[in-house]
Amino acid sequence: MTRRRPFRTASIAVVWLWLGLFALLPNLGLLLVTFLERGESDFVSLVFTWDNYARLADPVFVRILGESLWLAAASTLVCLLIGYPFAYAVATARRGLRPWLLLLVVIPFWTNSLIRTYALIIILKSQGIASNVLMALGLVSEPVSFMYGEFAVFTGLTYTLLPFMILPLYASIEKLDKRLLDAAKDLGASSLRAFWHVTLPLTLPGIVAGCMLVFLPSLGCFYIPEILGGAKSMLIGNFIKNQFLVARDWPLGAAASTIMTALLVLMIIGYWLSSRRVALRERKGADTGAATAGRTPDGGHDMTHGADGARRARGRA
Amino acid sequence: MTLRLRTLRTWLVWLVYAFLYVPILVVIVYSFNDARYTTEWKGFTLKWYSALAANGPLVDAALNSLSVATLAATIATVLGTLAAICIRRYRFPGRKVLHGCIYVLTVSPDIVMGISLLIFFIAMGVQLGFWTLLAAHVTLALPFVTVTVLARLAEFDEQLIEAARDLGASEWRAFRHVLLPLAAPAVAAGWLLSFTLSMDDVLVSFFVTGPTFEVLPLRVYSMVRLGVKPDINALSAVMFTLTIVLVLLAQTLTRTRRK
Amino acid sequence: MRTKLHAARAALVMVGLALAVLAATMFARPAVAAEEKVLHVYNWSEYVPQSVLDRFSKETGIKVVYTTYESNEAMYAKIKLLKGVGYDVVVPSTYFISMMRDDGLLAKIDKTRLKNFKNLSPKVLDQPFDPGNEYSVPYMWGSAGLMVNRKVVDPASITSWNDLNRPEFAGKVILSDDQRDSMGVALKALGYSVNSTNEAEIKAAYEWLKKLLPAVRVFDVTASKQAFISEEVAAGLIWNGDAYIAASENKNLVYIYPKEGVPLWVDSLAIPVGAKHKENAHKFIDFLLRPDVAKECVEEYNYSTPNVGAQKILSPDLAKSRITSPTDADLKNAEFTNSVGNALEVYEKYWEMLKTGS
Repeated sequence: MTRRRPFRTASIAVVWLWLGLFALLPNLGLLLVTFLERGESDFVSLVFTWDNYARLADPVFVRILGESLWLAAASTLVCLLIGYPFAYAVATARRGLRPWLLLLVVIPFWTNSLIRTYALIIILKSQGIASNVLMALGLVSEPVSFMYGEFAVFTGLTYTLLPFMILPLYASIEKLDKRLLDAAKDLGASSLRAFWHVTLPLTLPGIVAGCMLVFLPSLGCFYIPEILGGAKSMLIGNFIKNQFLVARDWPLGAAASTIMTALLVLMIIGYWLSSRRVALRERKGADTGAATAGRTPDGGHDMTHGADGARRARGRA
Repeated sequence: MTLRLRTLRTWLVWLVYAFLYVPILVVIVYSFNDARYTTEWKGFTLKWYSALAANGPLVDAALNSLSVATLAATIATVLGTLAAICIRRYRFPGRKVLHGCIYVLTVSPDIVMGISLLIFFIAMGVQLGFWTLLAAHVTLALPFVTVTVLARLAEFDEQLIEAARDLGASEWRAFRHVLLPLAAPAVAAGWLLSFTLSMDDVLVSFFVTGPTFEVLPLRVYSMVRLGVKPDINALSAVMFTLTIVLVLLAQTLTRTRRK
Repeated sequence: MRTKLHAARAALVMVGLALAVLAATMFARPAVAAEEKVLHVYNWSEYVPQSVLDRFSKETGIKVVYTTYESNEAMYAKIKLLKGVGYDVVVPSTYFISMMRDDGLLAKIDKTRLKNFKNLSPKVLDQPFDPGNEYSVPYMWGSAGLMVNRKVVDPASITSWNDLNRPEFAGKVILSDDQRDSMGVALKALGYSVNSTNEAEIKAAYEWLKKLLPAVRVFDVTASKQAFISEEVAAGLIWNGDAYIAASENKNLVYIYPKEGVPLWVDSLAIPVGAKHKENAHKFIDFLLRPDVAKECVEEYNYSTPNVGAQKILSPDLAKSRITSPTDADLKNAEFTNSVGNALEVYEKYWEMLKTGS
């Protein structure tokens, strides 16, 4: 380790500097605010208190959090079910075509999201485009409205979040070594089996990344459920925004944000630990061990995963 | 792959593209709609395009958005990729804290990020405007790049780099010739995500921009109270068409170059 | 170990560099000349028509830099954090004036410099949120009334906010997602003030809304006119500007002033305390008070104008409409929303309970 590594040093310094200044510092400030009291003339007053957390131990807040988690999880699942096969199809298209197909996924999202949401209203509303098409096809006899309900909310969320699922998935699937699949099939595995034992484990990091990039932002998202869903229930993003802007109770809003963040970071750590345990177990029993992917830096690296996967596929075939 | 699976796949791809593009087509069609307020079709007109041409501030805001988004996406991609490589490959003090920061940033509600960055900028005495907006957008987009690149490098073979290093390659050259080519699709995906995020961000931008620098999403969202005017549809249609033309042009160029 | 040290040293250097750059930008900030020909307006998107801004620039040579916000609450938070520095004219609604005044964020208006101030109607002047209009000049005002669809019910039979509970409207009611608006309507329906700070009354309003909740289809966040025009909803709360457009697009829609009274709002022009171009700001405000300019502004948005001069030359459509030009009888029991101080917490609490169904 005596070699000088200017690139390494510079990278670490730059990254540390940026995240330290713009992420760590503001968030430490936020954490501090959660222990302060709401101010009369200023937004906060410098009095220490645990009260903000105590106030959040309230069934109302738990219900808000639960509803938000459910909505975020469900829309993540919808995005994954649509995004995975799509990303797979793009990643296995002709090599020269792939970047263009990918670009085509993103271009619609450069139109302002409010404008796109309004376009969705035109489609979904009573006597809107969807309703007219269904009537023309004779599937319904009266105008129908798809607005202000769960269907509209999920359509809107999926529409907004889909690229955040597709792009990481694509990046992960694209490097999949097709020879492994061929090997598995040569050894007699069915397509489904090869997918289950080779493709899926190898693309798991992409799945995890995509799910994170959809799930985490969708938790704080409230605009689409409000506009398309009719704002009949309150979501955590809305709650936090209300505390900061409408009720002007910054400490409470900061505490709610901290709890949400802590909850999710705990979930991520839990995932790390479990995947590390899997990795360790695999290394011990390398014989039977099939490598499940999704390893983090802490999970160590397993060189033999591909071969293992193929072997396992064969073993079961 | 069997034939049935393949047709199924083609169908799926077309369906998803249709899902993504139908609302955009609706926006384009309605940019020709001769109605000020409603979503009913009232006949063809070009008046929203002339209204757009006369609406200098709106066009300015769009251009501002484009320049911030391009710059922010590029910086975020560089920093985010470096962050992913640091987290993935190097052992250094505070590595886990950095990794945690990445996730905290992704979860942070926009309002929280916007207000805390504004307070930070005020404390630093920085003038609000282009630079603060840029810094905020880079911070907003960075974790998306890092998470994407990390996923790509998840099963990366460390021995490749070690081999390159043993052969005398500097860390930079190893990065340039081994790591970067490997991560390239994720880096590109990260840039696209960053650009998208920056083009669409409202709440963070609201707090960190100053009295002389306006971006498009702010202008659009603040129309909600008074009703969105159709010249926005015209603007969206123009921007969309330009993008498509650029993409087609680039594609033809790369194809001829390859020939 | 060495690498660790290296990293630490490099990080230190970088931090030092960054601080130096920051300090440099701080000191390098140009000192602002006494009164440049510039005006920083902070307002809703296109709330002043571009043609009016252009005319102002042409007449005075002052360049208008117009930036936008999407809600009073967001604008308030930002101006407060900036301690009123950076913007020259803001347009807070109703009680945001009193909140900003109490926080010392507004500069006093010098009315001797506003020769068109006399055009303003006494009906909207001297309201509780700014007695004597020391800090604010009304720009636009209006009401939040009840709209119903003729196809569903005979409008003549609707006279009260309590009529929202009628079975014909089940599943077709629209309310505002702004808690003060919706709670205000409930308070009015019960015969209380929209500015009640009495917890028992606020609780009663919450219960009134909770009873209505099963009939509610939408809490509106954007323009409620769309939902009315496409007949997704048949009754509910709407601002008069939206109501005017909705009624002209769909002839079945009728705007009603319930007998308990309607909540009123005013958007006022104000000057933040740290404004660098106060003289230009006064010139701009005075310009907007000119009858011909005020007429042009209000005809763009179909609200009500506080400008008597403009009202006289208003287009006949707007002048005749009771939606935009209400009679005194229409405004009986009407009330401007005012700041409720700490009772806001109570409102917030009951609003959360309403939205989570507890």
